[in-house]
Amino acid sequence: MAPVSPVMVRPGPWQRLRRELFASRVDGLISIGLIGGLVAVGLGLAKWVLVQAQWTVISANSTLFAVGRYPLEQQWRLWLLTTLLALATGLSWGLLRALPRSGASARAWPRNDRWAVAILVVLALWRPMALQLALPIQLRWWAITGLLLLARWAAGRWGAAIPASARRWMPLIWPLLYLLGMVLISGGLGLVRVAPSDWGGLLLTLLMATFSILLCFPLGVLLALGRRSNLPLLRWGSVLYIEFVRGAPLITLLFLGQNILGFLLPGGLAPDRVWRAAWVLTFFAAAYVAEAVRSGLAAIPAGQLEAARSLGLPMPQALIHVVLPQALRVALPATVGQFISLLQDTTLLSLIGLLDLLGTARTVMANPAYLGRNAEVYLVLAVLFWCCCAALGLGSRALETRLNPTAPSNVTPSR
Amino acid sequence: MTRSDAVMIEARGVEKWYPNGFHALRGVDLTVEQGEVVVIMGPSGSGKSTFLRTFNALEDFQKGSISVDGITLSDDLRHIDAIRREVGMVFQQFNLFPHLTVLQNLTLAPVLVRKLPKAEVQRRALDLLERVGIAEQAHKYPGQLSGGQQQRVAIARSLCMEPRILLFDEPTSALDPEMVQEVLEVMQALARDGMTMVVVTHEVRFARQVAHRVVLMDAGVVVESAPPEQFFTDPQHERSRQFLSQIS
Repeated sequence: MAPVSPVMVRPGPWQRLRRELFASRVDGLISIGLIGGLVAVGLGLAKWVLVQAQWTVISANSTLFAVGRYPLEQQWRLWLLTTLLALATGLSWGLLRALPRSGASARAWPRNDRWAVAILVVLALWRPMALQLALPIQLRWWAITGLLLLARWAAGRWGAAIPASARRWMPLIWPLLYLLGMVLISGGLGLVRVAPSDWGGLLLTLLMATFSILLCFPLGVLLALGRRSNLPLLRWGSVLYIEFVRGAPLITLLFLGQNILGFLLPGGLAPDRVWRAAWVLTFFAAAYVAEAVRSGLAAIPAGQLEAARSLGLPMPQALIHVVLPQALRVALPATVGQFISLLQDTTLLSLIGLLDLLGTARTVMANPAYLGRNAEVYLVLAVLFWCCCAALGLGSRALETRLNPTAPSNVTPSR
Repeated sequence: MTRSDAVMIEARGVEKWYPNGFHALRGVDLTVEQGEVVVIMGPSGSGKSTFLRTFNALEDFQKGSISVDGITLSDDLRHIDAIRREVGMVFQQFNLFPHLTVLQNLTLAPVLVRKLPKAEVQRRALDLLERVGIAEQAHKYPGQLSGGQQQRVAIARSLCMEPRILLFDEPTSALDPEMVQEVLEVMQALARDGMTMVVVTHEVRFARQVAHRVVLMDAGVVVESAPPEQFFTDPQHERSRQFLSQIS
């Protein structure tokens, strides 16, 4: 007879609901009160969104929110960039699924992926309607979404057939795409220059955020290593820098950057106002990333470095191959937390007169035609920022699982 | 036994103070010949691990001299790296790299430091894993192995660099009792093959059966150095008798 394991009966949804929400009289009262409150708020919000709110402020200014004052006749460059980004995303996504780490079984379409596709399709169908986009733009969005999904499907289908030697270079498409993107956005190499002061809206926000995130990370790692170095000059330099930056509010540093750089550097040498802000953001975030990475380094037992060194690895190689891979994985959640606050900190750019998403929103709201439409604008802004931050958070969690050698999905079944 | 008279480790008057002023080594002498197995015993805090770790410069020392395989230990980093390539070390806590598979743990250093072709190193690594009896675990991660298996991987990882000397720092102290034997057997086989080994351990049976010489350290000095028969049956010093009565 098979052994009977205890608690095999799973309660039905009703029973569970009853047990969790209405276990006692007080529980029931609290539950009813809370549910009532939530329903009231939800209904109120739905009523406002569907009936009272006037969304013309968004649909009429959708281009402004997206790219600011980027010249209309040059916007094809941004469309091209978006298309390339969609292709690269689909490709990477499919490859990740087709080539899981070290022999774990590949599943072509896990449930999360099916959800993601559903959300993408719903967005593609709903967005043109909600924003009342013109037909050509609507078609473009459909094409881009279609391309993304096609790339995802193709890479998932045939990714495993790519020879290993070529596969190693695949991640390089991202830095290349980033450089290409910078050229497409700012011009050069035969393209008309578009000055940074003409970038705006979501474009500027994302550009600032990605630039700072990509640069502050290596900088932060170096600072963290410097802070733990045995060389006094390096150590004190790092400590001084980190503590100075962490001791000043970002907005102060942003103003400082705008004014002082202009005084210090002669005319042409000072970077443009937008780039000055980007560098300040980068140096600011690097100090915080350094502290996150330092906590990761502290979590790695000293024996790891000793083992690596006793095998004859010189210090840089011991750090790169043994200590940092482990330390960065420990530091990953805290680091991504820094990235998320960095993304949100880009709204401070509006205070020094740059037209990022918030800055653009403020100019729109200052237009007498849209007087009193603040709630609509701020709600859309909040949703946009939430989407970006949620994407970062999801990405970090996926990366964490992938980098964890003993996570169930990565473990090779024993032979 | 294949023992020649070539000197592999020569330590003279080694003294070490920790930064807090503690005088850990108070003039230690030791000579280890090629193919010799030396077991260092002693109570905790006697400086035996510290002394062992000076041989591959994991610990520095302030006075005296150490030369390993003809290379004098100094602050010169090139000398230290050169010595570390020839001296393998096995730790009490294994110190395997948890983010790499067993096979990658073995191949990392030979590929990076000795610049050997990857395929060749992998072949050798698999041979070594076969030798320590865990070839079938090559693609697992250290966290999926038992303590005894991990320590055998650690030994194989050291061997993969083809060292001329192996240092063992209490290799069985962190193991469950039933796993001690499998590790000791691997070490015994190494000794039979003529590997020069310095072993800090509390395993009396291993010292009796495998060691050519047993060294007792106490309070930062060598108290007694003798062949195992003599050391365990007829110790010359009062401190040795006291130590032996405590561990048996």
